[in-house]
Amino acid sequence: MKTITVRRFVISCGFLLALLGYQPVAHALESDSESSLSFNGFGTLGATRSSSREAGFVRELSQPHGSAGEWRSEVDSLFGLQANWQVSNHLALISQVISRYHLGSSYSPEVMWAFARWEPTGNTSIRVGRLGTDFYMFSDSRQVGYSYLTVRPSTDFFGVLPFSHIDGADAQLSIPVAGGILRGKAHLGWMDETLPLAERRWDLSGSRMLGGSLTYQRGAWTVRASSSELRFKHNLPIDELTDGLRQAAVMFPQASAAADALNVAGSRSRFHSLGGVYDDGPVQVQLMISRVQHTTTAFQDWWAGYLLAGYRIGEFTPFVGYSWIRSDKKKLTTGIPDGMAPALDTLNSATRTVLSDSRSDQHTTSIGVRWDFASNLDLKVQFDAIRGTSESLFPFRNERAGWNGKTNVLTFVMDFIF
Amino acid sequence: MAPTLGAAELVVAVRSDSEIGTLSKKEVVDIFLGRFRQLPGGQQAEPLDQATQSPERQAFYSALINKTSAEINAYWARLLFSGRVTPPRVMNTPEKMLEELINNPRAIGYVDKARLDRRLRVVFDISTP
Repeated sequence: MKTITVRRFVISCGFLLALLGYQPVAHALESDSESSLSFNGFGTLGATRSSSREAGFVRELSQPHGSAGEWRSEVDSLFGLQANWQVSNHLALISQVISRYHLGSSYSPEVMWAFARWEPTGNTSIRVGRLGTDFYMFSDSRQVGYSYLTVRPSTDFFGVLPFSHIDGADAQLSIPVAGGILRGKAHLGWMDETLPLAERRWDLSGSRMLGGSLTYQRGAWTVRASSSELRFKHNLPIDELTDGLRQAAVMFPQASAAADALNVAGSRSRFHSLGGVYDDGPVQVQLMISRVQHTTTAFQDWWAGYLLAGYRIGEFTPFVGYSWIRSDKKKLTTGIPDGMAPALDTLNSATRTVLSDSRSDQHTTSIGVRWDFASNLDLKVQFDAIRGTSESLFPFRNERAGWNGKTNVLTFVMDFIF
Repeated sequence: MAPTLGAAELVVAVRSDSEIGTLSKKEVVDIFLGRFRQLPGGQQAEPLDQATQSPERQAFYSALINKTSAEINAYWARLLFSGRVTPPRVMNTPEKMLEELINNPRAIGYVDKARLDRRLRVVFDISTP
């Protein structure tokens, strides 16, 4: 219900923006253009093939199915439109809609951003509304293929992030320090997204995110540290398991504690990241590391990172990358001995399934090239060799018994902006 | 092919009475890449770009930070579509650029030296590193 209200509100704002906006555009051509409306778009047409038939390779966890041995256009194709209304020198209204393959195997458009940006001075910015969560460097532009070198942001690093925006606010202050610019930012907001989990859905709406980042930029260097805390509102869609454990607690008291440990509602996840970028003329190098910890036993904590380097030669920029994600197993005992009754055995095996489902243990070596063949258009080809253990399930979809954690992904994309 | 333009012929200019004083290369980069646009007096500098495929724009970014037009477009795609900073407004012709510089005291843009007149003041000369 809440989601629908927010959507209606956002859509109404969009119409209002469009109606009011046309006036200033005509006006802008005549005067000194204090106010202007612009429409821009971006998109990617992609073909992606993962060699293993035993697990679906997805770009991120919002996708219910991926490539499992066949060419798929869904994984990397998307289309986005954005309206910017610069109301005055200090105020802008921005709205962005994206259509991509996601929950429910649909391309139904999602309102990614809809916010007002107020810049009271040249070095402060306050945004209120639906906005991008840039709790990792570049995470708020990960759908804009034209803006980066690779065919997609590292799946080991960004693919496991289950959210793209918050309904809330952020504030940013930039100050010159020692020949560079120091930027501090804080954000607070609530989510409204839903994640596909097997054939079920996990409702992330109402989950609260609070965090901040510090960025220092000097010359070709950018260094950034950030930390965010997420407090979940809803449990995983595993009620029959937790209810079953609570009923079993009559005979096996420990089962009740196990049910509590699988609660996600009210639990907290912390995302810490540290990143460095060196960008000088033809050279681009990025290194990022993240640490994610969950208070619930249902999710494994993980370390992830990536290193990417590219060098421009004329219109071509070849690149190489290496990324990894590795989680730590968590232990949980239901206290129910195996072999008592089929129903009780099911509780044990379902508990094991939940605990193993968030397991990640893999690394990816990537090589590719970006070709800027025309203005605002690029072509890219990339090969990823994913090497993991058979337990590495979290970044994939629809794993089968024969999954050995190894697959090779070949991708061709064309990105455009206008 | 568009005629090539040497960086030696480009200067960064403002209206003669603008509060923007002489700038260092770093300050020019900060303003044009949207890193820091605060002026000493508290106002925001308003950078202007020449047309995307113009020889002026290519020469300007190539000389300033050794980046191609495609790289600058990719850079702005990231900032524009994440809703952070507004890219410099695009003036479709050098004439429009001069007109806007003369009309707007907060505007800052790059122009061919040969087009300068008394109403404009040079704040950074690309040809002198």
